[in-house]
Amino acid sequence: MLSVKNIVKQYATHRALDDVSLEVEKGKIFGLLGPNGAGKTSLIRIITQITAPDSGEVFFNGERLNTNHISQIGYLPEERGLYKKMEIGEQVLYLSKLKGLNSAEATKRIKYWFEKLEMKDWWNKKVEDLSKGMQQKVQFVATVLHQPELIILDEPFSGFDPVNADIIKNEILELNKNGATFIFSTHRMESVEELCDNIALINKSKKILDGAVDDIKASYRSNTYWVEYEGDYSATSNEIYSVLQSEKVKGHQVVKLKLNENRTANEALAQLLPLVNIHRLDEVIPTMNDIFIEKVKGQSHE
Amino acid sequence: MNKILLIIQREYFSRVKKKSFIVMTFLTPLLIAGVYALIGYFTYKGIKDTHDNVAVVSDNKTLTEQLQTDKNTSYTYLKSSLEDAKKDLNKSDYDYILYLPEFTLEAPKGIELFGAKQAGMSLNRRISGDIEELIRTQKLKQSGISQADLDKLKTDVDITTKKIAETGDEKESSAGASSFIAFTAGIMMFMFIMLYGVQVMRGVIEEKTSRIIEVMVSSVKPFQLMMGKIIGIALVGLTQFMLWIVLTLAISTAAVSIFVNKEDVKEIAAAQAQSQVTQANPQMAAASTQAGPIGDIQKSLAGLDIGKIVFVFIFFFLGGYLFYSALYAAIGSAVDSETETQQFMMPVMLPLLLGYALSLSVVTNDPYGSTAFWLSMVPFTSPIAMVVRIPYGVPTWELVLSMAVLVAGFVATVWIAGRIYRVGILMYGKKTTFKEMFKWFTYKN
Repeated sequence: MLSVKNIVKQYATHRALDDVSLEVEKGKIFGLLGPNGAGKTSLIRIITQITAPDSGEVFFNGERLNTNHISQIGYLPEERGLYKKMEIGEQVLYLSKLKGLNSAEATKRIKYWFEKLEMKDWWNKKVEDLSKGMQQKVQFVATVLHQPELIILDEPFSGFDPVNADIIKNEILELNKNGATFIFSTHRMESVEELCDNIALINKSKKILDGAVDDIKASYRSNTYWVEYEGDYSATSNEIYSVLQSEKVKGHQVVKLKLNENRTANEALAQLLPLVNIHRLDEVIPTMNDIFIEKVKGQSHE
Repeated sequence: MNKILLIIQREYFSRVKKKSFIVMTFLTPLLIAGVYALIGYFTYKGIKDTHDNVAVVSDNKTLTEQLQTDKNTSYTYLKSSLEDAKKDLNKSDYDYILYLPEFTLEAPKGIELFGAKQAGMSLNRRISGDIEELIRTQKLKQSGISQADLDKLKTDVDITTKKIAETGDEKESSAGASSFIAFTAGIMMFMFIMLYGVQVMRGVIEEKTSRIIEVMVSSVKPFQLMMGKIIGIALVGLTQFMLWIVLTLAISTAAVSIFVNKEDVKEIAAAQAQSQVTQANPQMAAASTQAGPIGDIQKSLAGLDIGKIVFVFIFFFLGGYLFYSALYAAIGSAVDSETETQQFMMPVMLPLLLGYALSLSVVTNDPYGSTAFWLSMVPFTSPIAMVVRIPYGVPTWELVLSMAVLVAGFVATVWIAGRIYRVGILMYGKKTTFKEMFKWFTYKN
């Protein structure tokens, strides 16, 4: 639904985006990852038409990005705020009218959302009387109220307490189930693994990795397993696997095995089963956090 | 376009509904009218209560007539010498001694006034006025006009004198009202541009510091946001202006009829003229001779094209405001808080202040001179200079040219400001310099 093609954005002496391309599929949750200053916000600002790229194109549902798409996109920036002196209800109404909703429809939807997120009594409150978490809820409502096809959330969970973060997460999943596409910009890797279908990793203005989260993780598999067993046997490297690490934890032996080429975990188990009592066998799969750090660090060493 | 309307609406109503706006709008005319009423009342009272006894010692043979006692000044001619009169001053019941030495009518020099207390400016003026009149009468007589003719003329001369002293000839007669309007309009223009320009700047800073800006610009173009704010606040200014005009007129009229009865109005006019002439600035004095009296003004106003003046004022208010507020918006976009605005405010304030100062001195003094002309052409100063000039009458081609230049001027500042603004609003936590602002200006989108 969203194709970003060869985007270049140059600020005076600093190149914010260097030939970045990516595809966001309809109905998916897409994670836009990268360290601070990598160019994530620059890219989002181009998608939301706050700025324009120097070269490259963005397509929204096959059409070249234009002002008609503004009402199809909801954007919750990382640096977000509200008018301090304005009443909450009026404020959300104003923001949604700017997105093209009419008063009656907007009012109806605001009431629905306020009810849903337990903020019914807030209509006449002023922003300055709300806590930061409460303000975040208001901002979230303002972002999704016009039922955009594409919702872009920049660090959506920062500032939320766990209870409200969970509420928002469930709302995101529900909206996603109803067809909304999401772009997440974050460096919180737990939420990426929990929510995202696909990711792109941007570092130093360049995209350095993208794809489905499962595929990426699979490609970082190293055929390494944790095996926990009971028995008077200390595993040593053989033709099936090599032992990378071995230690005793609470009377159990825990070893880290790396399978040799063309060997399977079954073969390793078959070799071990006669000798010990197997308690657990876990494949060592790198977390997104590990991959993130490895890729970013790897690049900075180049 | 619809979005700009929404923004204008919000900017307008969020300000007009504020308590401070309502209080300011209704209190200011009350204060202005109140101050005027008080000044009028006290000067009137002062002039009515004033009475001075002046002893006259005359060694003068030229003046054949004596000074006439009126209700504010009593003249008593003494036979004694000046030295004796001085000695007796404290014992006597007169307050001052006026000494008239021998002089020619062409050069009446050496007149002295002695008193136990320092004579006020108003007494000084009254006495010199009386002597001048005496000399004038005598000169007329010398030029062959008989006492009978003079007596016949007397009534006429009185009227003429009054016109010369207070209003001058026909053309000049509205100059008083003109100056009054010029001053008021100039001051109001300056205040409006400052006040509302700064409001635009504050609004931009507020949006930036509260971080709503990024949410906003994902829905509307930065330029729309900036223009919406500028126009919205302009409407607030116009609303306030209209309310002030209406309220001030209503309240002053009411105040005049409460404090002063109709016949006294003239007297207050004269009194105020006197008291204000005594202020040090001679240019101010010339203008303010007519500035105070509401009654006179209302009469002289008939001679001015009020419709034209109001139209020009509103046009130049909008033009000047747009011109400056765009610059203020650019400043607001470049900083993170109001305290950082100082260094950028100066270059914007300076031309406005200069225009204000020059308009109220040079331009009111010589509304047709070349300074006045150039001040009213350069868009940095034309809003103030032109409203100051317009009550005196400005050639149509100059007016049209000035308007055209101003329009071109604000189109340019709005365009420049828009380019700085769109980058500035998304920059946080960096100290901005002029160099950097110029760099933003050159960015492509």
